[in-house]
Amino acid sequence: MAEVEVVVVAVRDIFQDEAGRKSLFSEEYKSLSALIILDKQDMAGLAVKDGDKLLAKNDAGSIVVAARASKDDAKEAHPGLAFMCSSPWYNQLVSDDSCQGSVKATLAPTAEAITAISEIQARMKS
Amino acid sequence: MAICTGCSLLCEDIVASFENGSLKHAKNLCRKGHGHFQAAFTERTRPMIDGEQVTIDKAVERAAEILKSAKSPLLYGWSNCTEEAQSEGIALAEKLGATAEATIACTTSFCEGILMERVLSGKIETCTLDDVRNYADTSIFWGSDPSSSHPRHLSRFSYYPRGEKRQRSYEEERTCIAVDVRRSPTAQLCSNYYFRLPPGGDLPFMEAILAVLDGKIPKVADKKKMIELATVLKKTEWGAIFPGPGLIYSLQDKMELFEQLLARLNEITPFKVVPMVADCNARGFNELLFEKTGHASSVSFNGGSAAYGPEHSVLAAAKKCDAVLAIGSDPLSELPIGTARALAHQPIIAIDPRRSLTTDAAKVVIPSALIGLEAGGTAVRMDGVKIKFEPVMNSELLTDEQILARIMEAV
Ligand code: SF4
Repeated sequence: MAEVEVVVVAVRDIFQDEAGRKSLFSEEYKSLSALIILDKQDMAGLAVKDGDKLLAKNDAGSIVVAARASKDDAKEAHPGLAFMCSSPWYNQLVSDDSCQGSVKATLAPTAEAITAISEIQARMKS
Repeated sequence: MAICTGCSLLCEDIVASFENGSLKHAKNLCRKGHGHFQAAFTERTRPMIDGEQVTIDKAVERAAEILKSAKSPLLYGWSNCTEEAQSEGIALAEKLGATAEATIACTTSFCEGILMERVLSGKIETCTLDDVRNYADTSIFWGSDPSSSHPRHLSRFSYYPRGEKRQRSYEEERTCIAVDVRRSPTAQLCSNYYFRLPPGGDLPFMEAILAVLDGKIPKVADKKKMIELATVLKKTEWGAIFPGPGLIYSLQDKMELFEQLLARLNEITPFKVVPMVADCNARGFNELLFEKTGHASSVSFNGGSAAYGPEHSVLAAAKKCDAVLAIGSDPLSELPIGTARALAHQPIIAIDPRRSLTTDAAKVVIPSALIGLEAGGTAVRMDGVKIKFEPVMNSELLTDEQILARIMEAV
């Protein structure tokens, strides 16, 4: 199974922010938070297309997120650099001693379901 | 007129009407603010102990008992509370700290607090956003993306408005520069002056600016673009820099180079800094705590004195605390998984108007009135301007300040 190492940078998005304000427990918030924006080269390396699921993991934890290709053109290609909105999903990959602004993670295609907020809540209590 | 507490711009020109428990009409709200107002009617909390609904008196009483018996309570959040509630919270931490080690910290303790402390101590020159609107001809969004985080920043202050000395505004007189790891919505506006950096590339970029300002050849791939940037900076009459998380995370304990760059720029022309704190009254807490202790975002009170440093940070406190008071934030959503997990294993008292990951995990939930809509008070805009506001809706709920006063009385 293909694997790609990336640096995931936490970003803001007005639509995700709005969805989170309305409800952290909504499908809309999940779909905008459990989402990783990748360079087209990394999408090709992983053999995934928009909406395919990826397991993102590192020493801090793991999550299943949906992949989406970045809209940046070849001139601004960013292989190895991925983006996720700040959210409880992104925070699953942040360790206490790492900078919260960006983390390293390994990505691999998966058939598992996107991590639910209830799963994140259960992990906190475990 | 209502105030929006959706971000630290605290827009005061909001016209809103409500009908049958929903937002009927709104004027001047951005998309984020609209979501913030709509949320007022959904997922409201109820007083709870261990998942069972109780009276507000019982919840307050239990909260006081937990805090009173704790040896190292952590009082976390505060960035979405009024100054009145924040003052009450600092006083509560001091009172608890007389017999325990009580850590109080706000959400900026992970990021903007380090820069805000330098602004409050006068090491970094700042200005108001009204100054930016009236005088700024160059605005640098460095690791910040106001179009996403503070959506009316550009229209009210930094790019579009016709200010006193900037009547020709964005068409002719204002230049915006974006420095970021991605072409963010804000960077898309600054297409000629967008500098894409790799994560952590801010220090070499600063060194390159310093080099070109001194007439040296910068050690970057696109030398021509750096020279063009130096020309814009040198021609600036009045500049403002808006550092966001991207820059602050990158600098962390290496703020000196940023200060060196500011000093060099200010030899040429005035350049002011306004940190892009996110939450509506994060700066208010920074100012109050700084005034009291000389530190802006996190301290421990113990035996009558306030201690500061890595061992008194939220991360350290989370590992050793035996009770948590969460207010004005949702730490279980916002903090790294290890810290969130550590907090979730302690008795949490969550004072929050709405359901969150923290209220779901809390031992005690105390519902409070929504700041701005149901609770009036004072908040400090991101640039230090104090704003007083009245509630626009009737509510029987206690305000954060009233809840804290009752806890204070009982501990
Ligand atoms: S910019 Fe901020 S304060 Fe102004 S309306 Fe939008 S969310 Fe509210």
